[in-house]
Amino acid sequence: MSEDLKQRYTPFFGCMISTKYPQFEAAVRKTFPAMGGELVDLDGYSCCPDPIYFKAFDKEQWVTLAARNICIAEEAGLDIVTCCSGCTATLKEANHLLHEDVGLRDRVNARLEKIGKEYKGTIEVKHIVTALRDDIGLDRVADTVVRPLEGLRVAIHYGCHLLKPSKVMKVDDPDRPTILEDLMNIVGVEPVEHEEKVLCCGKACMDPDIPAEMTRDVLRSIKQLDVDCMGLICPTCFDEYDVGQILLSRKFKEKYELPVIYWFQLLGLAQGLDPEEMGFKRHKIKVNPLLEKLAIAAS
Amino acid sequence: MTVINFDFKKQLDRIIGGDLHSYCFQCGACVGDCPSARYSKRFNPRQIMLMCIMGREKELLGEDSVIWECTNCYNCMERCPQDVRPAEVIIALKNLCGRNETRPDKVKQMVKAVEKTGLTGQVTPAINKIRAGLGLDPVKPVPVDEILKILR
Repeated sequence: MSEDLKQRYTPFFGCMISTKYPQFEAAVRKTFPAMGGELVDLDGYSCCPDPIYFKAFDKEQWVTLAARNICIAEEAGLDIVTCCSGCTATLKEANHLLHEDVGLRDRVNARLEKIGKEYKGTIEVKHIVTALRDDIGLDRVADTVVRPLEGLRVAIHYGCHLLKPSKVMKVDDPDRPTILEDLMNIVGVEPVEHEEKVLCCGKACMDPDIPAEMTRDVLRSIKQLDVDCMGLICPTCFDEYDVGQILLSRKFKEKYELPVIYWFQLLGLAQGLDPEEMGFKRHKIKVNPLLEKLAIAAS
Repeated sequence: MTVINFDFKKQLDRIIGGDLHSYCFQCGACVGDCPSARYSKRFNPRQIMLMCIMGREKELLGEDSVIWECTNCYNCMERCPQDVRPAEVIIALKNLCGRNETRPDKVKQMVKAVEKTGLTGQVTPAINKIRAGLGLDPVKPVPVDEILKILR
């Protein structure tokens, strides 16, 4: 592919993917170039910072740290692609606030001046799936599929921060989204609708019992359907449903063992990559039944 | 007679998004799709907005405040006809808890981690080894001195 046809971005993987679920980073890095995307790594990014705990501490400091990260991308003249819905929530919201609120921008820039930076508002923050849909184009994504994952039924879970607040995120209809269904169709799997498709995973709720009840209802709504796995795009939701199923099984003395897969891992398989490279070994709920069904053996 | 605590409302107004509580006309559109309201007997975003309007500082910022049950899902913001952004008002309330030190330990730990390493996840030799196995470079270091300078 010629250089000028490439879509260049700076990737922002964030703390959770980098330090807890690096298999998602590997899946993105290994699948993105084939679609004509280029990821340019930049130095100096910190935590986005997280939109739950750090934001609960001090919104102005939260937006300041986010602005510093955005400045790094601005200096390189590249749009940011985020692979974690939490990082998307922070960086997109911060970019939005700093655009809208001139007073806030001045206060943040006064802080950034101490390290020789200035927020200018010249780049966009995009969740990587919107970069695929809106910039690269789903046709180009489909062109990279050499092994459609036919016969696989996948229960989609959207997670909150990809879609909401919709006025800021501008990704899809928050009540009737289709972007993940479209992506699932491209890799050849059958997206399966379940009753609690848009229910929150509950991770941010700081009550010990409520999140467990939420994940339980989501999993129960999926359990009634004949699906092979859950497919999602958010590492926080993954946390709730992967290791979360083990905790849930213990708590309620019920059996939950539904594999949970990040969409780019499915794409990797569909692009013909080895399951080993997608890091499935790191999943608590084993994905072997699904690979056997697809007749894909790890080397 | 009910006395409104205007001092508290002024404090809330100074936090990003906190001032929006005054636009709430108590329609309750935020409640129907709220997952915390569905699962918790005591969580109700409309009531939280009312408590803000009344300036009920003690209940809102106290040890056992209901605000920490919010899941930050933003459904309330989708439904609100007044653009109150209830989830953002609730986060503004959480900011005010900092002064009372009634923040949950998890918040304190995460903030400490960012101030110490610039990240919320721990970079260990083990994780870099796992990354190497997946063909990934080690996690890049963060210039923490810059973080501390702009936070002060």
